[in-house]
Amino acid sequence: MSVEKGKICDLELFFLMTAFVQGSLLLIDFTVSLTEHQTWMVILAGLAVSLPFVLSYAALSKRFPGMNVVQINDIVYGRFLGKIISLYYILFYLMTLSFNTLDVSELYLTFLMPDAPFVFFMAVFAAAVAYAVSKGIEVLARISHLFVIVGAVVPISTFILLIDQMDFSDFLPLFELPAIKLFQGIHIMAAIPFGETVTFLMILGSLNKNRHTVRSALAGLLTGAICLLIVAVRNTAVLGRTQSVWTSPSFQSTRLIDIGNVLTRMDFLVGIAQTVLIFIKCCVFFYALVTAVSQLLGLKTYLPVILPLAGILVILAATVFQSPVDHAEITQSTGIIYSVPLMFVIPPLTLLVAKIRGLPQRKRGGGK
Amino acid sequence: MIIVFLVYAFMLVLVLPGIVKRKEWRELAAFSVLYVIAFVLSVLYALDIPIPSPMKGLDYLISDILGLKYPK
Repeated sequence: MSVEKGKICDLELFFLMTAFVQGSLLLIDFTVSLTEHQTWMVILAGLAVSLPFVLSYAALSKRFPGMNVVQINDIVYGRFLGKIISLYYILFYLMTLSFNTLDVSELYLTFLMPDAPFVFFMAVFAAAVAYAVSKGIEVLARISHLFVIVGAVVPISTFILLIDQMDFSDFLPLFELPAIKLFQGIHIMAAIPFGETVTFLMILGSLNKNRHTVRSALAGLLTGAICLLIVAVRNTAVLGRTQSVWTSPSFQSTRLIDIGNVLTRMDFLVGIAQTVLIFIKCCVFFYALVTAVSQLLGLKTYLPVILPLAGILVILAATVFQSPVDHAEITQSTGIIYSVPLMFVIPPLTLLVAKIRGLPQRKRGGGK
Repeated sequence: MIIVFLVYAFMLVLVLPGIVKRKEWRELAAFSVLYVIAFVLSVLYALDIPIPSPMKGLDYLISDILGLKYPK
């Protein structure tokens, strides 16, 4: 029995998936130090690499309609191994959520309110996320289009306003980076904005009809990727080689907007967009976390575990890394390596095992 | 420290009566375990007692033991 009773439609899945991918806009800044002016290429390559795996997530949910990943693991791998794999998913949700919560507080501390206490932002943010998740997946999905609008309007409008300052020769020379850096960049892109959509395995079971699951998931992934691409192209064309020097190329490039001394200091738009988009991304992760924990423990509802898990999240986010440098270094290496089996091995393997074993078995005699 | 106690007391007031009223004992057990973990971690953090990061352990396992890492 699933812990979630709410249902969402294909269109809501599309918006939720788009907003989720857009939630990694901050990641563009984080990858630029590695991939410099080839960030746009790395986004496209990361998308191409992750596409078949995202398709496997959608195929898995079509094969097991109405079930989340914890239930699927129990059926395919048995109760013991299935629970161990589900614990791995829970660890992934919790760790990624703590990284994103830390990202929000670092964003506010660095650019907006440097004197405010560090843990304060995390506590307020976690409380807001917990409140949103307590309303259920239906409410989150129903409002997700608003987040998509913010996530699309800000990059597009700032791109247009900066067109006169763009120099497209900054994209040359192509293929200048060492292969290992390019590979690492592609791995980051395939894992973080796109591979993290593995979280939707906790949500896809809530679809009211799963006829267009693949189409909605793919459309959401591509729309989100286009937004990431717009941001990467804007930053490189405006800042050129200097983009790897800035803490946040997105803030720096939008600060350069000056239309007749009237439209200036537009960087606040980036702050707003990044906050709301990380919020919806964290809501999806937190929803996946609480439903996975509740499903694993065999609870009837996930509501009682929301607040204690939010408390654990705040402390974990506050202590997970010692400094922003530590954060960047570990996330660019261990942070993307430990989740490889979970994103790129287990879902296709689960699909294969299910196919070989003929799972899920249909109940005999119950069809008529 | 007082804020930690207030926040956790508020959490208890908000969640506990509903669970007891509905006699959801499994939910009560799950809530209690997670609540105690969260409370202990928060008190340790408020008292400035170092809390080991799970990411450090993962980093040690993946980078140092398994040797899986990207060159700097």
